[in-house]
Amino acid sequence: MSGDTDLGLLAPRDGGRVDFAELRSQRRQRLVASMRDDGADLLLLGRPSNVAFASGARQLWTSGFRPYSPGCVVEAATGRVHLLSTWDSGVPAEIGHEDLFGLTWNPSVYAQRLKAAVDGYAASLVATDGWSVAGEQIVLAAVPEAQVVDATPILRRARDNKSPAELFCISTAASIAESAMSVLAALLTPGITGRQLQGGYAAAIASLGAPTPPTEAVAWTAGDPADPAGRPVRVALDRVLRAGELVAINPGAFYAGYEAGVGRTFVVGGTRRTGQRELQERCREALDGVISACLPGATGADLVAAWDSAGVGPSRDVLARGVGLGAEEPVIGPGRGSRELLSEGMVLSLEGWAAEEGVGGVLEQDVVAVGGDGPRVLTRYGRGVGGS
Amino acid sequence: MRRERFEKLVSAMQREGIDGLVLLGTGAVSYATGAAYPGCDSSRSVLDRPVAVVAPGEAGPHLFTSLPDIAPEGADGLVHATASPECDEGAAALAEFVSDLFPAGARIAFDDVPHPLRRSLGSREVVAAAGVLGAAKICKTVDELACIRRAQAVNEAAMLDVRPLLEPGVRQTDLTAGFVRRIFELGVSANCIDPIWQPMPERLAAGPWTTHGDVAFPVGSTDAFLRYGDVVWVDTGVSYEGYASDFGRTWIVGRDARPTPRQESQFQRWTEVMGAVLDCCRPGVSALRLCRAATEANGGSRPWLPHFYLAHGVGTESAEMPLIGSDLGEAFDESLVLQPGMVLVLEPVIWDDGAAGYRSEDIYAVTDTSWTPLSSHPFDPYGIR
Repeated sequence: MSGDTDLGLLAPRDGGRVDFAELRSQRRQRLVASMRDDGADLLLLGRPSNVAFASGARQLWTSGFRPYSPGCVVEAATGRVHLLSTWDSGVPAEIGHEDLFGLTWNPSVYAQRLKAAVDGYAASLVATDGWSVAGEQIVLAAVPEAQVVDATPILRRARDNKSPAELFCISTAASIAESAMSVLAALLTPGITGRQLQGGYAAAIASLGAPTPPTEAVAWTAGDPADPAGRPVRVALDRVLRAGELVAINPGAFYAGYEAGVGRTFVVGGTRRTGQRELQERCREALDGVISACLPGATGADLVAAWDSAGVGPSRDVLARGVGLGAEEPVIGPGRGSRELLSEGMVLSLEGWAAEEGVGGVLEQDVVAVGGDGPRVLTRYGRGVGGS
Repeated sequence: MRRERFEKLVSAMQREGIDGLVLLGTGAVSYATGAAYPGCDSSRSVLDRPVAVVAPGEAGPHLFTSLPDIAPEGADGLVHATASPECDEGAAALAEFVSDLFPAGARIAFDDVPHPLRRSLGSREVVAAAGVLGAAKICKTVDELACIRRAQAVNEAAMLDVRPLLEPGVRQTDLTAGFVRRIFELGVSANCIDPIWQPMPERLAAGPWTTHGDVAFPVGSTDAFLRYGDVVWVDTGVSYEGYASDFGRTWIVGRDARPTPRQESQFQRWTEVMGAVLDCCRPGVSALRLCRAATEANGGSRPWLPHFYLAHGVGTESAEMPLIGSDLGEAFDESLVLQPGMVLVLEPVIWDDGAAGYRSEDIYAVTDTSWTPLSSHPFDPYGIR
């Protein structure tokens, strides 16, 4: 990415670096092609990131997860997208007013509106990205004759392999996350509390115009020394950090809905002890080994093996997970995702954690694009840059 | 508080003939277990979600999480590694846990069932958990009210610090930056919603376009500049120990900006509507009666947004039952009778086409005889004589 500059105030006037109308159009084409591959006539999406992928709408962010109900409809035959939105603000121009249906609290009104949206469209196979008792009643009231299947394979094929424009958005998110990293690193002085770190992180990304965090959990230390896995523990909001502690910081951010995050480990007060430096170097080497293994055709098991071969102890639950429009599949770790196959254009957040009793814990996290000519690291903070 | 909630869940399960609960929604897990999860994008909440399993015979609820430190004290033996029902391996393990815990044929209620979990459950009947959750949650205990009051107090204190930032040229995201810094410093557990600082048009015709022809609100924040005299509808919410606040006020951009007499009269009308609703707010009164009191005080038209409600509850969700004046309809409102412990976030809207409108929110708990406020915040720059 050497030489790239990120978007600023003049982006709209200067055309920016991403043609968002084209980006949305490409995403929809991939989605519709993927639906046709599986013979699905309709996609009924409930998860906000899937709705954003299909519609391109910027919708109000709320924290956490709510049970499935369909908020976006994609027709395979026409490519038309219907969206649950009471207003057109944040809705891209290609989704017309006739494609919007309004918010309701009433399940029977909900079903009527959904039915009206797809009225006259023949659908025998419907794919959904979730299931709930109430959601199923709404779906079956709208498309009573249809067979309902899991949309995950359709979504994975459409979402896994990112276009260059999507990679650029992820890089821009990385630059916001790294700015927050810089703010947080400067805050790490003895006596700082978890609350101050949390407030500093939230303010840093918001002041760059990207207020919603992938997660507020941004600071970690080694947990219970008796825990054989030495798992990280989130720094409690009311905890006071002491001089000499190792603290892992992993801010993330969104740009245009795309996520990136970066993780590095610092000593509160600044001076690393020998054991701390060694642990950090070993963790870094281990993660670099995993990065090198991020090649098309590699499996989840290959990534875990790359980590294990470094001899810094077992990986924590998640070693690698997809990023794109937020957190995505695959999720890879010990006992999970071993058969996942990496392919060109996939973007992974790699998260290496190593802990040692009496020393502390170290996190190194980078975002990597799987490329035909090798892995491309999209995060920069603290890494040698300038061709070294 | 956790023990009382567990008992309420169990008795609601017994009334509904439910033998077990499997909960995957963030708010529901928080209610069942007391786990205060950090604020999280929904995509992360899906792939790394806490899961609760409630069985009446157990010492407490089971919690599956990747963040063991979010489990409350005293949950030893009930906290498990993350469940991952989004993948086949994780879903199979969770289904097996459920099968081991409950006998075959037990009626288990779920709030959400990802496809892999549904496949793993095989032929097991899946019942909706909404009825049990609603029944347990609708009336708050004294401790729950204290958590809401605390969340609201911190939210309000942070807004006092944000208000002076509302100068010409400020961006919505700048206001957010000031707000989120202060909420964490002052003591919340998480932020619940991307804060809303929406400049309202003078006329509906100026847009945004809506499906119902009424006001568009809340529209997501951007980094656009706010201008002198903009009427800004503010809506923020934080959580304390899993309980949400809900802050709503109408502000005007510029430290010396004051409402016009016409705008001031909108506020007076809003105050009259609030007074009329509170005058009849007590146990035994139907939600429909509150709606009628509000409508009468507004000269016969409904003073709330058609896609929302006159009032909603707040708890481990920022909007939960009781919903009053929603499109569930008048028959629903008539059947909804106020009881002690219910919480009402009253949010009347006075729209006055040509001069924007006024909207604020205040929170009240229904007591044994009437109501008590859980919010307290100035209305500046309105109502200053």
